Amino acid sequence: MIGNDIVDLKQAAIDSPDSFIEGKRYQRFLYKVFTESEQELILFAKDKYQMVWLLWSIKEAAYKVNVQQFGKRFFNPKRIQCELISLEKGYVKIDNETYFTTSKITKDYVYSLATLTNITSIKSKCFKIKNPSYLKQSETLKKRLLESLNINCAMVKKNGIGVPKLFINEKQLNYSLSLTHHGNYNGYAIL
Amino acid sequence: MTKEELIAKLKTIVQPYIQDEEAFKNLSENTDFINDLKINSANLVDVILDVEDEFDIRIENDEMEKMTNVKEAMTIVNKKLAK
Repeated sequence: MIGNDIVDLKQAAIDSPDSFIEGKRYQRFLYKVFTESEQELILFAKDKYQMVWLLWSIKEAAYKVNVQQFGKRFFNPKRIQCELISLEKGYVKIDNETYFTTSKITKDYVYSLATLTNITSIKSKCFKIKNPSYLKQSETLKKRLLESLNINCAMVKKNGIGVPKLFINEKQLNYSLSLTHHGNYNGYAIL
Repeated sequence: MTKEELIAKLKTIVQPYIQDEEAFKNLSENTDFINDLKINSANLVDVILDVEDEFDIRIENDEMEKMTNVKEAMTIVNKKLAK
């Protein structure tokens, strides 16, 4: 199973002014989202803002795997606990489950992948789509994903709890998929 | 506060974060913040902080865990206001 998540750093600055140290509700934001050890990572980070969103994307990616495993959604970022080995590698605990994560950081975005085992053969990609419409971006993202798979007449549909699945002629294929979209950036991962 | 007043207040709070106009227009008790309004999860934190400020309440993380739809948000706000 696989999960991915992208954060457009410019978009996050517009959408979440509380994620900046100057933000009026910065402390409350941190307290709602991050465990004590994660708050320490942020406090000592060279780029605090980037660390906030790196940890966020790691949490989201792991959460997406957890939802596929257990079929249940929840909103409690502190229940998802990150440990970093480096800026690019880490792991996450959600209750008794452990997830392995890898991340890519650029000046424009942070992108994280999470898996149940420490595998390296993941098909994933992230890219820019300059179209402000949520629907248009979502369509383009699905199209790119299907093109990369090279399977004819396949379709991506979300199941009842919002997990994307691959179908051919109404028949569900046994792939784990994850889609992510934020601001101008999009990503997909397949396993 | 009546049910309608509470829904109206919640509607104002979520407006800046919604990505599905149609679902927003039809917002009801049964609207899901993520599936219907397409609010991204980072903005869900902002929604929670805004709800705290608007009603002058504090929401714990275990309560926040269920706050992913209008109905649950109403239940939690009402419970807090009754205290």
